[in-house]
Amino acid sequence: MKIVNAKCLLVKVVLSLFASFAYAQNVNGPGYEDILNGFNDPTRWLTYSGDYSGKRHSPLTQITPDNVADLRPIWTFQSGTTTRGRGWETTPLLDDGVLYVTGSNNYAWALDARSGRAFWQYRRNLPDDLTYGASAPVNRGFGMLGNQLFMVTLDAHLMSFDRRTGEVLWERELADYRIGYSATMAPLIVGNKVIVGISGGEYQTRGFIDAFDPVSGERIWRFNTIPGPGEPGSETWPDDPKILAEGGGGTWMNGSYDPDLNLIYWGVGNPNPDYYDENRAGDNLYTDSIVALDANTGDLRWHYQFTPHDVNDWDSNHMPVLANIEWQGAPRKVVMVGNRNGFFYVLDRETGEFLLGEPFTATTWAREIGPDGRPIVLNDGSLGCLPDPWGSTNFYPPTFFPGLDLFILTARETCATYVPEEPANTPGQSNFGGTVFIDAEVGYGALRALDVHTGNLEWEFIYPSPTFGGVMSTASGLVFAGDHEGNFMAFNADSGENLWHYQTGSRIWGAAAITYMLDGLQYVMIPSGTTLSAFALRAP
Amino acid sequence: MARYFYFGVKNLLFVTSIFCGIAFGQSSAAQEMNPLAADPRAVRVGGSLFRAQCATCHGADAKGIEDIEAPDLTLMYLRDGVTDASVFQIIREGIPGSIMPPHTFSDAEVWTLVSYLRSAGIVGTSTTIEGNTERGLLLFNNNCAQCHRVGVRGGSLGPDLSSITNRRSQDALINSIRNPSATISRRYKPVTLIFQNDGIIHGTIKSEDAFSIQIMDSNQVLRGFRKSLLQEVIYGELSLMPSFPASVLSDGDINDVLNFLQSTRQ
Repeated sequence: MKIVNAKCLLVKVVLSLFASFAYAQNVNGPGYEDILNGFNDPTRWLTYSGDYSGKRHSPLTQITPDNVADLRPIWTFQSGTTTRGRGWETTPLLDDGVLYVTGSNNYAWALDARSGRAFWQYRRNLPDDLTYGASAPVNRGFGMLGNQLFMVTLDAHLMSFDRRTGEVLWERELADYRIGYSATMAPLIVGNKVIVGISGGEYQTRGFIDAFDPVSGERIWRFNTIPGPGEPGSETWPDDPKILAEGGGGTWMNGSYDPDLNLIYWGVGNPNPDYYDENRAGDNLYTDSIVALDANTGDLRWHYQFTPHDVNDWDSNHMPVLANIEWQGAPRKVVMVGNRNGFFYVLDRETGEFLLGEPFTATTWAREIGPDGRPIVLNDGSLGCLPDPWGSTNFYPPTFFPGLDLFILTARETCATYVPEEPANTPGQSNFGGTVFIDAEVGYGALRALDVHTGNLEWEFIYPSPTFGGVMSTASGLVFAGDHEGNFMAFNADSGENLWHYQTGSRIWGAAAITYMLDGLQYVMIPSGTTLSAFALRAP
Repeated sequence: MARYFYFGVKNLLFVTSIFCGIAFGQSSAAQEMNPLAADPRAVRVGGSLFRAQCATCHGADAKGIEDIEAPDLTLMYLRDGVTDASVFQIIREGIPGSIMPPHTFSDAEVWTLVSYLRSAGIVGTSTTIEGNTERGLLLFNNNCAQCHRVGVRGGSLGPDLSSITNRRSQDALINSIRNPSATISRRYKPVTLIFQNDGIIHGTIKSEDAFSIQIMDSNQVLRGFRKSLLQEVIYGELSLMPSFPASVLSDGDINDVLNFLQSTRQ
């Protein structure tokens, strides 16, 4: 017996050595090079959009237009925590068969991607006097570098976790939540920096984008989205330091990154107050803009403002989508944005030069962008209703389908009347500055595919109500999207034909799908309500 | 513009003054009566605060926004157990697990919100409608009961009328009977479904998504359909309820019916 045991032991030792060798590459977790590698390794999903470009376009082809009708649920995970009125907005990260997922109310989990079972759960003890974080207790995902995870919190902190245990390594305050600051976005890892943004543009806040050292937790740089007195851009505000210090300009959706240009692209939110503008004459830079920042220093390289002097809460917190396309006969590096103001934009991402701006909804606010890149505003609200404050689209991700050169996004057709009123302007209280009347009878949503060269609508699929679901595409010719009624759907990218749907039981709100290979099977995953659902063509 | 500024300063002064009143008067945290209940200014100030702080979710008219599951606050005071103190508590502490956050307004500001919500609350017909109850019952059974329920009796195609006089004024109810298509409530929108074999069903829409529709048909049966099996879905503008002109129900007849409905309410 002893001899047999010894033999068994020997076999076990050899096997375990082999196993540890086989998995050695994952002991230290993914590095910056792995994130740069993006979709080249389809067994991983290491950053919010899957890669730095923000295209949310996977090269996977196991699920095709011909077989997607066979797609079926493999497992679900129940979070047990909800955000009534919003949704489960997260994008899970995947590495080495483990999903790292954030939830509402600053819950977080590590899940077995093969079964949906949890390795660990984290829940932050939040203060009971949360401000903006109480009314939007959402989170959009982790950042990951090595064995560290990074998550922002509703009381405006940045936290680092050991991904193996969920234990907290360090935390840093980004800003004082009691004034109105909060944080909800998914941290972006660039090189050896953790880049984060801030929420709370309806309060007495001043937006910023921060870069932190992942190991020490020390802040490396900060870009303020509202200039200080005398700084460039301050001429677009009244000459009043207090107004600048409370100008809003949240940065609550993460951005994209071009490693060749070493530029980070990030959207900036609304000016404060939202609707009442008597005290903020001017364009109010850099609100409702996209900014291109040097990743090393946080210095501003260029900016483009989509909605000068916004009075409709049309934040420009969108995922900037980077692509290299043929533009009027020559290759061009562009950044594309489907904006809350109802226009689809193409800009040169090296210089910020305006290339195209075309409406993708029936908005009457403006129908064209002038040659100077500014919207020609036709209706300030006095000529009938405007798109509501949730906008013609919102932060939920669009997708870009290369080859077809389609920009596919969820559009919202709505009708709202704005009545400004001077707000009390008190710390910790929101400053919308008025009231909005929304005509719920006339709203609807649509998945729309735009030709990026013209902005023309190539196809659409109508939803019964204004929808807040994100979009993803795969190289096999599929588009995955979610709607307000709870359907998770697949479409033919070429024609817009609906090929498959699954009723998840709760609206898909703020989230977009991810896809990856695991044990030879292509999975597609979507959060909705309190449920994370994993789909594949057959049981593993 | 000056108007806004003036209004803001005025509100601030008023809130300050009532805050001092409360602070030096009695302990407010546990109090059950709204100390501003008799002050008409509180409704105005509370309304202003409501539009600035609450209307984003609850709507400018406090009637709620279904998309974000924010309830209609004008119906709040009709529910059992809802008092000024319980409304104060909800505003102060929020509703855990929901988008409704706790608020750090001063006690005085919360009480102005309570005053506003009390004023915006639907109280229905407070005075007794003159009419003959027994005749009203007869008219109700002959004209309404096939589709409307009162208590345990009646149909389900239209809204339950058991407590309708608590929620609608006499004028509004008369208008609904005379012209039922003028305003159709959300869950009673008419629809016609046409099948591949040209069969037709009429009903009211209970729910709908891009791929399916859930209705109550005109026989008061709940039915769900996949849209792919339908030839057409026609959204109507005419209520399934017939209109009752004076030649069918006189003003006196209607008052008899409303008097009957009032007699049955809880």
